[in-house]
Amino acid sequence: MTTSSAAPYAPPALAARARTSALHGFPALLSLVALVAVFVISVVNQPGILSVTGLTLMLMSAVPLVFAAQAQMLIMSVGDIDLGIGALIGLVTVIAATLLRESPLLGIAMLTAIVVVYALLGLIVQKRKVPSIIVTLGMSFVWLGIGLQILPTPGGATPDWLTAIGRWRPEGVPSPLIFIAIATIIGWYLSRQSRAGSRLRALGSNQATLEKAGWSLTRTRVLAYVLAAILIVISGLLLASQTRSGDINSASNFTLMTIAAVVLGGGNFSGGRALPIGATLGAVTLGLITVLLSLMSLSSSLQSAAQGAIVLAVLAGRVVTERLAR
Amino acid sequence: MNTNLILPPAVRPASGRNRRVVSWPAWGWSFIGVLAVWALIIIARPGAPFDPIVQSLSLAPFLVLVALGQMLVITLGPGNIDVSVGTIISMSSYVSVAVGASAGPLVGVLAAVIAGAVAALCSVLAILLLRVPPIIATLATSLIVSSATLLLADASRNSADASLRVFVNAKLLGVPIIAILVVAITVAIALMLRHTRFGLSVIAVGQSARAAERSGIKVWLVTALAYLASGTFAGLAGGLLAAFISPSTVLGTSYMLDSIAVVVIGGTLISGGRAVPTGAWMGALFFVLLSGLLNLVGWSIGAQNILKGVLVVAVVIISATASGTAKSSFDRSLTFFTSRTSIKETRNG
Repeated sequence: MTTSSAAPYAPPALAARARTSALHGFPALLSLVALVAVFVISVVNQPGILSVTGLTLMLMSAVPLVFAAQAQMLIMSVGDIDLGIGALIGLVTVIAATLLRESPLLGIAMLTAIVVVYALLGLIVQKRKVPSIIVTLGMSFVWLGIGLQILPTPGGATPDWLTAIGRWRPEGVPSPLIFIAIATIIGWYLSRQSRAGSRLRALGSNQATLEKAGWSLTRTRVLAYVLAAILIVISGLLLASQTRSGDINSASNFTLMTIAAVVLGGGNFSGGRALPIGATLGAVTLGLITVLLSLMSLSSSLQSAAQGAIVLAVLAGRVVTERLAR
Repeated sequence: MNTNLILPPAVRPASGRNRRVVSWPAWGWSFIGVLAVWALIIIARPGAPFDPIVQSLSLAPFLVLVALGQMLVITLGPGNIDVSVGTIISMSSYVSVAVGASAGPLVGVLAAVIAGAVAALCSVLAILLLRVPPIIATLATSLIVSSATLLLADASRNSADASLRVFVNAKLLGVPIIAILVVAITVAIALMLRHTRFGLSVIAVGQSARAAERSGIKVWLVTALAYLASGTFAGLAGGLLAAFISPSTVLGTSYMLDSIAVVVIGGTLISGGRAVPTGAWMGALFFVLLSGLLNLVGWSIGAQNILKGVLVVAVVIISATASGTAKSSFDRSLTFFTSRTSIKETRNG
């Protein structure tokens, strides 16, 4: 994770090192603790989880969320926020369940168009200096409208190859774990391993330096949006592969969940930080909480309140741990 | 409304010949939009040219109420936005009806207002104590509120009080009384923004939270009051909408984006520091007339959503270019964020 800027003259004492690492070294620590706690509670509630099938069922809903969280992480690393992510994933499921089956070429063209639109959004945000929050919020209604035009009520059917991905059950390993690992590796490579990733983070933390180093700010922001759009499309396709149908509202809570996942994982709103493992941990935690709430047979009316309260509680926990670490 | 009055003199162009006696009002573009849509409606359905305006005057006040609260929040500066207004409206519509059934319609509306304020208090606590960014805080609040709405919806099967129903539909000389009341509230807010300590503080915080803090303004208090006002107005709108339409779990859903769009279309700077109460009216009339026009022409809900979204994005892009302040407001938003982190870093030593 991020290298700590400890004092250079002497090796820091153990307590100081623990403190620094709690603050900088592994900001996703809190998320990990929360994940373990949620998992233990789930196991106590439902011991059947501790099997390949149990884990598969438990983690399945987290797979699209993890991909979406990686996309949100890329956008947030350049200092923006995407409020259209939930509606867009819904639209991708709609496209997957209708156009992609009936006329694959048109479906693929639509998905490509989404990526192109995201490139334009990046261009607009950079060139016109408009807040990404409002632009993506406005776009979320465009996505919603397109989705309602194509498929007014949930339905349709996904193409066979997509259904096959959703049905894939390897021996011995829960398949969601594999997808989650792939998403994390993609996010890690894009944001922390590749050169483009360091440019993205530089755009979020210090634009002036990036510009003086000779890089185009516009191209960098457009790159972030394009990469995010590709991850969002993958997320939508995976969600459709699980539900085997299209529903424009199927991912409406993803907008908050992805932002919360990134923040839980140690990310921030000012940009310059990209923590793919943290984002994954955050997303899996939130996904598990959703499953746990339904396992505990909580009234369905109360589930969204519980989600909101838990997000606030974990964010509060983060504030407390950061205070203590100081 | 000449919004230049609220800006300190230093912001004005120094050279005298650039100063116009009558400046283009910030809500000018939305006014042109209202006229254009009105003209289109008259073309689409000739005869009775004032009917569409009168009709929109009965629906627009609710949107204006919500937008005024949203405007105060947005004026606080970059990052400030209230996305809980939609769910608060739905919840308070049930509160208004449920309380109104046993304690009378006036108490019912009052209870709706209080419910809105309580929901906003939840956001405020999260923003101030937990240091959660407003958008997350209000989203989390709206999740909690939507649960409350579902519980209330299960519990109550009442419908709105007859006298409240008469009141929201009452007209004075052809103009809905609600519209007149909301105009009065708009004037009050406009005066408050120009002349009271709180109003000027909201604008000062929006222009520079740091400078406002240094000059002795209690930024936290101003922030809290703005969000509380937003929740209160949403609660009032929901309480009245319960009688105008009827309580439903999706009653307020469209108000979330609409209120933001109306505020932005009306000329209020999305980056904060400039509030245009008149613009809320212009934007709301524009939106209500537009959806009337689209229904008249026979557009589907999906197509209407697409147009609304495109319109919001287009207006944000155009206003960012036209106002000429986009660059500076963006820089301000950057300093807003970087200043927080730098404070943190210095504390870390």
